[in-house]
Amino acid sequence: MAALPTMRQLGCLRSLIKTQEAIQPQLARRFISTAYSQRPQRVPLPQNLPEQFLSQLPTRMLPENAPKPIKVYTPPPSARKACKDPIGKVTELQLETLDPKGERKALFDYRRNPRSIKPGDIIRVTFKNGDPFNGVVLSIKLRGIDTSFLLRNELTRVAVEMSVKVFNPNVQSVEIVQRAQRKIRRARLYYMRSRKHDRRSVENVVNAYVRQKRAFMGGGKR
Amino acid sequence: MPPRLPGKLLQLSLSLRDIQLTVPRVPVRTFGIRSLNPPKPSRFNNNPGLPVLESTSTAALRRKANSLPLRTGAIGIKKGMTAIFDAETGKRIPCTVLQLDRVEVVSHKTREQHGYFAVQVGAGWKHPSNMPNSLLGHFSANGISPKRHVFEFRVKDESGLLPVGQSIHANWFQEGQYVDTRSNTKGKGFAGVMKRHGFHGQDRSHGVSLTHRSMGSAGPSQGGGSRVYPGKKMAGNMGNTQNTVQNLKILKVDTDAGLVVVSGAISGPKGCVVRIQDAIKKPWPEIASAEPVAAAAA
Repeated sequence: MAALPTMRQLGCLRSLIKTQEAIQPQLARRFISTAYSQRPQRVPLPQNLPEQFLSQLPTRMLPENAPKPIKVYTPPPSARKACKDPIGKVTELQLETLDPKGERKALFDYRRNPRSIKPGDIIRVTFKNGDPFNGVVLSIKLRGIDTSFLLRNELTRVAVEMSVKVFNPNVQSVEIVQRAQRKIRRARLYYMRSRKHDRRSVENVVNAYVRQKRAFMGGGKR
Repeated sequence: MPPRLPGKLLQLSLSLRDIQLTVPRVPVRTFGIRSLNPPKPSRFNNNPGLPVLESTSTAALRRKANSLPLRTGAIGIKKGMTAIFDAETGKRIPCTVLQLDRVEVVSHKTREQHGYFAVQVGAGWKHPSNMPNSLLGHFSANGISPKRHVFEFRVKDESGLLPVGQSIHANWFQEGQYVDTRSNTKGKGFAGVMKRHGFHGQDRSHGVSLTHRSMGSAGPSQGGGSRVYPGKKMAGNMGNTQNTVQNLKILKVDTDAGLVVVSGAISGPKGCVVRIQDAIKKPWPEIASAEPVAAAAA
């Protein structure tokens, strides 16, 4: 209650001074504030400027030095569009010679062809350069030109596995000796490597087949 | 100590001595055989057996002449790998498929202007709105559509400079010829020292804790200078660097589809840019050696 102006008569003067101080910084702030103004636009040259005034312009503004639009040339026909699947194209080109009728492809296409070779079948493969190989099909890998199948057999009581590329020109023939005895529920029969499920040698089955075939063909010569 | 003379006097004495020298000497008879042109030691080392300087640009070009291809290469895109069976032997050859897409000669680098001969080649197409004006102007000045990839191929001399604007098709390469390919390897990011440099790492146990795959010591201590030597192999960014694979055979060529099938593997992921040029470590292909002859005949 001590600072009431009515109590001290000259005290009112002090309050006047205080208000001045309080107001002044606010005034100063108002001076700092800027008003929005639009970005200055370049004033275009007047149309049809008389020639005698051209010399007064800087060289970059002379009409002959005005930026010319860059001419963009059209590209030649695209090879990328012409061939969108190059790997497929290379595969096709090869299959034309390696498998012209598509027989081999169909023989192993177990997803689409019901008569194809399936895992579990016993197969006999003959080669142009080497001994034939017999075995149970453990798996078929469908990989385009690298399509292959894995055969398992037992030779001299040693288990042997052989992976054969289907489209290899050295493969002369692939014969189905025996279809799988039961329905096989798996695509990869790697469980046959375990002792419990091992099919062991298939030579007996194949030998019987070869004898039968020879009898059918009529040629008794070895 | 002689008495000091003022400067002017000293000059005078010198000029007097000159005059004495110019006075014709009285010939004195000498005996024995004397050479008319006594050998003068030269200040400069200019005898005929000097080696030619090898630090000039001309010498550098001469040195490179045998290892620079005669003709330009091409830019391909790696499309993936497959295999080709050899019809006779039945051998399976793994191969990489490359596609040449709208490959054209953009401009030249010449000895006079740039110091060497090279052909600037562009491939693909890029939308002009995504291209800086300076580059767009470069293509436009040479009358070529905007290219996505631009590379240079050094050639030996002027005869290897294909005309600007000529397109390079897959049949630029012959089946059976050898090529070198350059491309960036797959990027592996920031890789540790075991992956990046094949270090052995540290023990799984025997008191090792938390540093099983890290580098051991970075260098010797006080005896070695107490510093890490420059070039010390450490962890860091691995891959995505240029790699050249030399002497790859061309197995198949398809001009319409722009396909070049090259034996073996090429660095980089599918879709990466591959530069293909005649192999420098094999004899030049017959086309390349035949071209200059044809040009000379014409």
